[in-house]
Amino acid sequence: MLLEAKGIVKAFGSFRAVDQADLVVAENELIGLIGPNGAGKSTFFNCLAGDTRPTAGTVRFRGMEMTGLSPDRHARRGLARTFQVPIVFAGMTVRENVMVGALLRHPHRRIAAAKADELLAFAGLAERAEMPVTALGTSGRKRLEIARALATEPKLLLLDEALAGLTSSEVEAAIALVERIHARGVTLIVVEHIMEVIHRLTRRVLVFHQGRVIAEGTPAEVTADPTVISAYLGRRRGRSA
Amino acid sequence: MISFRRAWPAMLLVILAAAPFATGNPFYQRVAALVVLAAISASAWNVIGGYAGQISFGHSIYFGIGAYASLLVFSKFGLPPIAGAPFGVLASFVVSLIVGPPTFRLRGHYFSMGTFAIAALAQILMLNWKFAGGAIGVMGPATPRSLADLLFRNSLPYYAIFLAVLILLLALTHLMQRSRMGFYLRAIGSGERAAESLGVPVQRYKLYALLISGAFTALAGSLYAVMIGFIDPASGFGVLISVNMVVIAALGGVGTLFGPLAGAIILVPLQEATNALLGGGGTGAAYIAYGLIIMLIARFSPGGLAEIWRLVFRKERGRAA
Repeated sequence: MLLEAKGIVKAFGSFRAVDQADLVVAENELIGLIGPNGAGKSTFFNCLAGDTRPTAGTVRFRGMEMTGLSPDRHARRGLARTFQVPIVFAGMTVRENVMVGALLRHPHRRIAAAKADELLAFAGLAERAEMPVTALGTSGRKRLEIARALATEPKLLLLDEALAGLTSSEVEAAIALVERIHARGVTLIVVEHIMEVIHRLTRRVLVFHQGRVIAEGTPAEVTADPTVISAYLGRRRGRSA
Repeated sequence: MISFRRAWPAMLLVILAAAPFATGNPFYQRVAALVVLAAISASAWNVIGGYAGQISFGHSIYFGIGAYASLLVFSKFGLPPIAGAPFGVLASFVVSLIVGPPTFRLRGHYFSMGTFAIAALAQILMLNWKFAGGAIGVMGPATPRSLADLLFRNSLPYYAIFLAVLILLLALTHLMQRSRMGFYLRAIGSGERAAESLGVPVQRYKLYALLISGAFTALAGSLYAVMIGFIDPASGFGVLISVNMVVIAALGGVGTLFGPLAGAIILVPLQEATNALLGGGGTGAAYIAYGLIIMLIARFSPGGLAEIWRLVFRKERGRAA
């Protein structure tokens, strides 16, 4: 197994943002993570990527115990991520941003620059390589983050709402990009709100609700699941909402 | 245009290097030496404060350590003051290793306040440390015993020594800027969390930056003490020493190679001129100007003069293309 997360708990005081969540990911899978706002998806992501230390539970990645290790150790081991709100390195060009990622495996500047250019072309940002990164809009920044994460040559990539806030034509391009990343042999976990996207991209979906995994299966199975429907829409009580 | 862009810093350096030799005026020569000295400490500060974005207000510690190291090896062991410089640099490493890891856990303003507090503490310690002269301070040699004492009537030899150190520091910074470390420091400065997620060992690189920055600041302190021949807690560890570095770097442009030098060329003569014009009672006047400059930078050009230069230059290039 590529990634095994067991019994992950993240508590903030008495509130359990993630409560006994499990996830097993095999190599080359493309897994969707859905759930209503505040379900604990992002917190769970942060636990997997080393951004937050889980209160309880263990994360194993490529056979190694990763719980409590820093995010940079995760990256070095081959686990990359993007952020819900993209964090770009202002003051650098688009290419330099991606070079920061590429320098992890290629300490030489020239090789890192070549690697960055390759990934910018892959993400459809080639002609913007020289621009200051702050000139990019939301869609550009999201693609930049993906290129930057790929530059670390990950085995597993966690995309945190990489498609949120995009126009419909941008969503189409982003779906195609995710599929091409998968075709490169990168395993993916995708947090997403748009059901249509999940249907088209993934074959296995986990549904989060109040910090727990309440359903798991193909997108079709999951959307037909009554617990999932009640989690999103609430329970029928006399008059339906 | 490109060749001019590459050549202008070199041209500036040559003019700067030659200018004091062209004038016979000792006041100008002294100011020139002080400009270069301030450029050394501001450029050293720039490594951690500019590139890595960790705004330290505690660099007076390093400056003071270097300054005291040179005059203490003279007053206690009779060695030439410059022999204290390596000890100052060594002590700066120790301080970085002790102070760095805990303060790096603080972010943004909290880091600035933390370093500020530590430097204030260091000044109080020095005031009470009898061995190092307490509040009275330490004197250097009154008359030169040999050339090694580096005691000159004229400021030009100091100017030449300082310039050599500045060129060494700027060359190192230039190399760093192009290397992985330069990219990593800039990434840390603008988005620590994202940098970490890309495999940057953030704490380790901050410490590297602090070690380099502290060492050169200590060296600047040693050189200052060699030239001035006197150090006390206020002139070595005073808060204004730190503020000077920050303001000079900010005016010229933080995180740029020549920004701190440009800032020093503007601010130090201003400071010396107000001191000379207004006499001892007017020493505070320069700091009124500092306050104004800080406000102007913060309001209109957070990137300092380097940002203004870039904007002007980009327009020119746009027209040419």
